[in-house]
Amino acid sequence: MAGCGPGPSGGKIVLRIADWGGAGDDSVSAQIERDVYAGFEKLYPNIEIQREGIPGSQDYVKKILLGFISHSEPDVIRLDASSAAVFVDNDILLDLAPLTNGKQGINLSDFFPNTLEVAQRGKSIYAIPVDFTPMVMYYNRRLFDEAHVPYPTENWTWAEFLDRAQKLTKGDRFGYTFTNWMAGWILWIWNNSGDVLDQHGKASSTATSQSTVDAVTFIRDLVNKYKVAPSLSQQAAEGALPFANGDAAMEMSGHWNLTTLTSAPKIHLDDVGVAPIPVSQPGQKPVTVLYESGWAIGKHSQHTDAAWKFIRYFTSAAVQRQLQKTGIGVCARKDIANERAVNDREREFLKIVPSGKNPWGAKVQGYDFVEDEGTKMMDSVLKSGKDPRAALKDFASNVDRELGKQ
Amino acid sequence: MKRNRAGWLFTLPATIHLLIFAVLPVGYTIFLSFYNWNLIRDERRFIGLGNYLRIWQDGGFLKSVLNSAIYTAASVPIGAAVALGVALLVTQKVKGVTAFRTLYFLPSVCSQVAIAMIWIYIFLPKKGMINAVLGMFGAPNGTDFLGTSGWAMAALVFMSIWVALGPRMVLYMAGILNVPGYLYEAAELDGATKNQQFWHVTLPQLAPTTLFVVITSTIGGFQVFTPVYMMTKGGPEGSTDVVGYHIYSAAWERFQVGEAGAMSFVLFLIILSVSIIQFRVIGNKQVDG
Amino acid sequence: MKRIFSWLAMLALAIFLIAPFVWMVLVSLHPAKSPIPDYKDLIPKQPQWGNYKLVLFSPEVPVGRFFLNSIIVAVAVVIGQLFITSLAAYAMARIKFKGAQFLFWLFLASMMFAGVVTQIPVYLFMRSAGLLDSLSALIIPGLSSAYSVFLIRQFLLGLPFELDEAAYIDGASYWVVYSRIMMPLSKPALATVASFTFFSVWTDFFWPLLATNSMRLRTLEVGLSIFKNSYGTTNWPLQMAAAVITLLPMVIVFLFSQRYFTKGIQMSGMK
Repeated sequence: MAGCGPGPSGGKIVLRIADWGGAGDDSVSAQIERDVYAGFEKLYPNIEIQREGIPGSQDYVKKILLGFISHSEPDVIRLDASSAAVFVDNDILLDLAPLTNGKQGINLSDFFPNTLEVAQRGKSIYAIPVDFTPMVMYYNRRLFDEAHVPYPTENWTWAEFLDRAQKLTKGDRFGYTFTNWMAGWILWIWNNSGDVLDQHGKASSTATSQSTVDAVTFIRDLVNKYKVAPSLSQQAAEGALPFANGDAAMEMSGHWNLTTLTSAPKIHLDDVGVAPIPVSQPGQKPVTVLYESGWAIGKHSQHTDAAWKFIRYFTSAAVQRQLQKTGIGVCARKDIANERAVNDREREFLKIVPSGKNPWGAKVQGYDFVEDEGTKMMDSVLKSGKDPRAALKDFASNVDRELGKQ
Repeated sequence: MKRNRAGWLFTLPATIHLLIFAVLPVGYTIFLSFYNWNLIRDERRFIGLGNYLRIWQDGGFLKSVLNSAIYTAASVPIGAAVALGVALLVTQKVKGVTAFRTLYFLPSVCSQVAIAMIWIYIFLPKKGMINAVLGMFGAPNGTDFLGTSGWAMAALVFMSIWVALGPRMVLYMAGILNVPGYLYEAAELDGATKNQQFWHVTLPQLAPTTLFVVITSTIGGFQVFTPVYMMTKGGPEGSTDVVGYHIYSAAWERFQVGEAGAMSFVLFLIILSVSIIQFRVIGNKQVDG
Repeated sequence: MKRIFSWLAMLALAIFLIAPFVWMVLVSLHPAKSPIPDYKDLIPKQPQWGNYKLVLFSPEVPVGRFFLNSIIVAVAVVIGQLFITSLAAYAMARIKFKGAQFLFWLFLASMMFAGVVTQIPVYLFMRSAGLLDSLSALIIPGLSSAYSVFLIRQFLLGLPFELDEAAYIDGASYWVVYSRIMMPLSKPALATVASFTFFSVWTDFFWPLLATNSMRLRTLEVGLSIFKNSYGTTNWPLQMAAAVITLLPMVIVFLFSQRYFTKGIQMSGMK
């Protein structure tokens, strides 16, 4: 149903591949990615790749769903664990089990089991994992050394975190930086034994619990009371990422952060350390989230053969060895992940992995809406000084009402 | 009759198009507003007035209507007044006036996406253009215009006046040039000052123009979408969640087309009644003046 | 004295209207990834023209393709709409047929509920027709416009009626009167409609955003919105370079067609 649209060029199959990257710049990692895609076209000269980047994780989910509704979703779809449920549970993707078991199959035991779980339903599997990352605490060793502050430790607490952050804050420099982005700050709640949803996918019981309120209050106070983190408008004014720019000593992020840090002029990769996320009470075990991504095939794809060829190519050891040089994630293949764990930082990532859980979006449909509401909630707390309990109460009622419709 | 047949034949393509893309859709909007219809699963269930009840109870839609009303109530009168002022300025016989008119018109034909990108930058705290200028004069320059719920709507209104100046200005220019000269001569004989002439001659004579400007900008104001989508996504805290964006979000981000249909129909009624009221109020003045 | 004052006022206003564009160009020439410059450092020390190259020739985002799509859609819509709407306008203005008045009011009223109110049904209709995600999806809904009918009709009403009467006496058909007499005389109105339509199609964002999904079917307006988040929210120089690239062709076209705009808007204002 291409209408009068421009058709495939020169009899080639045009394989549409979607991810949440946009236009690449001239960085090393963008170049590596281009090489990987070019390598596929070289291997299969009758297939032309059309990359379809939809930048912004929230926009991405909505646009792919819109494509599905008009029967024109991309052939190959990058599936993010945070929004896997809405795709997997609505019959939008092709079941890959027949293909993985087929002659041109994929050996699933090559992959970390928790990365497979995200898109597995019974015997069916809807995505082949590519990479994943736990959320960790990044710190800038140089700034710690200059302020004579000890590095974060294995089971450090909020009190120790705050103490360090206060000592690191000086003039234009902050101890910590974070934004209203929910995928980042939810870990503070988890490490205070709180949450935003319960096991039934309802918000009202947990999101308004004391531990959740306390966690949101704590991170608000980092900006308003202790002033160890820049406010959102301070960050907007700088127009540069505070941690990458050496203006903040700590930040919570995933492995992908390293792609930014590699090309950031004001920070040396050798100075970048990672640690587990601090816990609210001494002796508590830190928990984190595993943000994973994999490749899936759209239900309406006319080119499932080519799409599968691409997935096989992309998740192969050789390509992953090349691709993971970008630093985008921890490879979902055990062999490559171990191969790459050559420095302390990579080993630290692997050490943190067992404490990771899958994000809510892997199980709960409409989690992208929850994240939108979370951003609004955090905005109201940080920007308009709304009381955290009241803000969370509004958040919970909005979430429950919307998810109730589905 | 041959004449009737010819008339309908000539209008046929446009009429069919109108039926398919404007008339029938309104009917269909009403139809789907009675269904709970999620496009992802593509199942629909008749729920009567359920959607109307839901959007009434949700509050989010009503708030978005209110936001749109604020946006329109601020941008339309200010925009019209500014355009009238500028039109008075550029209908004088001054050197280079045509060049100025062209310049003033320019923003209105520009890509809204590009304009939005530029203005996000202009509204940035400290180093954005507005704050930089404020800073030059030693005024407080830390306001995050788009990031603060008290400011974001004002920022969008400000931008809209900048964007839409051109067409409104040209309309008023035409109106001003059409005012018969003898009216001013008569007023002058009566000893009216320039100021009085403006209030008692120019403005009443411009009533039809004002009516047109106000009605078209009101319809446009209630439908504004692109700047909100590009610049604030309805935030912060829903303060710029205007009805056009709210409906978009319900239909194309949450795929609840039944609910969105109900919202669209309510919006349709609102636009219709506001237009009728405006027609009455400004239209009557025209008769009185 | 008063003239100088007016002139200064106009100049100040012009600066206010143009400053954002100047700001945009200056920022686009700063090194990519650099923090936002202070206004004191706004003029780049070494203009980074490479930013433009990076945006124009981005391997992930086919800007050339977007450009081509925009031209195809805009030209198709302009030609189709001129034809369809001028036919209708001619009938409404010059053929006194039964129902002309009714049709006119129907067209006029429809201008009130364009866009937001009709989006879902139109989308679903195009979906059933299998037309979504194609350039046809962008062209077909634009093939007629009540606004254009209205504008051309206003113009045609202003032409002397002796013209057609003389032609009918000579035995000319309606078609001949339309194509040989009315249309050649309506060139100014048609030019106005063409420029209006061209710009409104070129800058349309909502419908192409909704109706197309494939990267290679994007128009420039939607395609370039990808740049907003592409380089992280903070890479202003590249975003501004993308904005300049979108705006520049339009500004040039506008400078050549601007007199039709002013005419058209004035025509629509006089009822």
